[in-house]
Amino acid sequence: MTPFDAVKAAAILFVVAIAQVSIFSQVHVLGGVPDLLLVTLVAVSLLRGSLAGSLAGFGAGLVVDTASLGEMGLTALVLTLAGYWIGRYGETTGRDRLHAPFLSVAVVTVLYAFGLVVVHFVLGDSAPAGPVLRGLAPAIAMNLVLTAPMYALVRRLLRPAQREDLTSEVQLLG
Amino acid sequence: MAPPNRSARAAVLASSVQRSQPTPYPSKQRSAFVRRLVLSVLVLAALAMLTISFRSPTAGALHDAQSYGATALRPFQIAATRVARPFKDAYDYVDGLASAKSRASRYQRENAQLRAQLVAAEAAAAKTPSLEKLYRYEQGSTFPAGFRPVNASVISFPDGPFSEEIAIDVGRNAGVTVNTPVVSGDGLVGRVTNVFSRTSLVTLLTDPQSYVAARDVKTGVRGLLHRGAGNTLILDQVAKQLPVAKGDPLVTDGTHNARYPDLYPYGIPIGSVASVGVLDTASFLQVQVAPYAELSSLDSVAALVATKRR
Repeated sequence: MTPFDAVKAAAILFVVAIAQVSIFSQVHVLGGVPDLLLVTLVAVSLLRGSLAGSLAGFGAGLVVDTASLGEMGLTALVLTLAGYWIGRYGETTGRDRLHAPFLSVAVVTVLYAFGLVVVHFVLGDSAPAGPVLRGLAPAIAMNLVLTAPMYALVRRLLRPAQREDLTSEVQLLG
Repeated sequence: MAPPNRSARAAVLASSVQRSQPTPYPSKQRSAFVRRLVLSVLVLAALAMLTISFRSPTAGALHDAQSYGATALRPFQIAATRVARPFKDAYDYVDGLASAKSRASRYQRENAQLRAQLVAAEAAAAKTPSLEKLYRYEQGSTFPAGFRPVNASVISFPDGPFSEEIAIDVGRNAGVTVNTPVVSGDGLVGRVTNVFSRTSLVTLLTDPQSYVAARDVKTGVRGLLHRGAGNTLILDQVAKQLPVAKGDPLVTDGTHNARYPDLYPYGIPIGSVASVGVLDTASFLQVQVAPYAELSSLDSVAALVATKRR
């Protein structure tokens, strides 16, 4: 990942994080909230791997925690793990798969929601799983709708990495 | 050369050439180490911030840094909000249109519910005077000894000129039996003539089959109260020479012979003498009685259940 790519990724994640806190967090459809930041993080992580994914998740999470005046580090922790996991998926089995962004977004939406519930529960905050469960299906649907355009945009900004650029521990045959 | 039917898998498994263990590239080993190191550092940093933020949520360096960061991000947030305002307004407008119908039906349901609650409250308030009278009677000194009141609501009224019965919402389960006297806050209403588990049928004083031994409180004159001509109540069997005057209050006469106990205990107010007439051809006085109880508009009544076996 070139420094210029890093700047572009940081810029888009910053803008999306601000948009997420200021705009998208207020959009409630059938109890679900679209998460453009998560979708963007999926795109960046799939295109740039686990190292960039974890860094992107950490940075975006910090912006969200700061802007929303929430518990510092909470969103950063969950998004770091999410970015790393998606990056690893992109480096290994998800590589070059057309459905990888959609599958990643669907799975990560669920894991992210329950990850936040778990962290809040561990911290002793109110962590009702019922509303999260009820809003999960609409959130997945909205995130899937956002996936295609967002992935295309990020792919346009960050050229797909060469195979040698991606770290890999699983060698694909052929 | 391998035979034509030999599969690639078999060729690999049966290969006599011993492959050397693949050695990962040093650069890949290094990148895996860096990746895991970076992840660990980031997770630890996040956990450290979380711990600090959790332990001192309102003060400290991290709190100050967050405050400065939020201040710095505020213009971006305001800008984002302003940019999104037209879209949000459009979304709200469309969302409002889409949900207007459901909201209208919800408001209609709520309106109907509130109207029903209002009617119920007004209906309950309308019953208050009769309940107050009943309560005063039950707590008063004229309430017959040896009985306990079982309060009830009237659930059906006489359905025509041929019926002088009402139904009340207490029955056998509350201790009501046939011939249990029923009173309102004003006076005697009648007696139970049929009893079910949770309801009872009460025959009113104005029924042709109703007879009540009554007594003039002022003069002590006794008579038999029953329905007379023209749907009125009369005090019958009163000799012409006995003193009965208009306005005299009448109460139930009660039991005089223990072998033949009366259905009604002594002292339940019945009504007052409305008029007294004397006919040369009749053997008894013509005494018309106006009942105290509003028999045509009863709301709350009490069944007088005996506390000991009679």
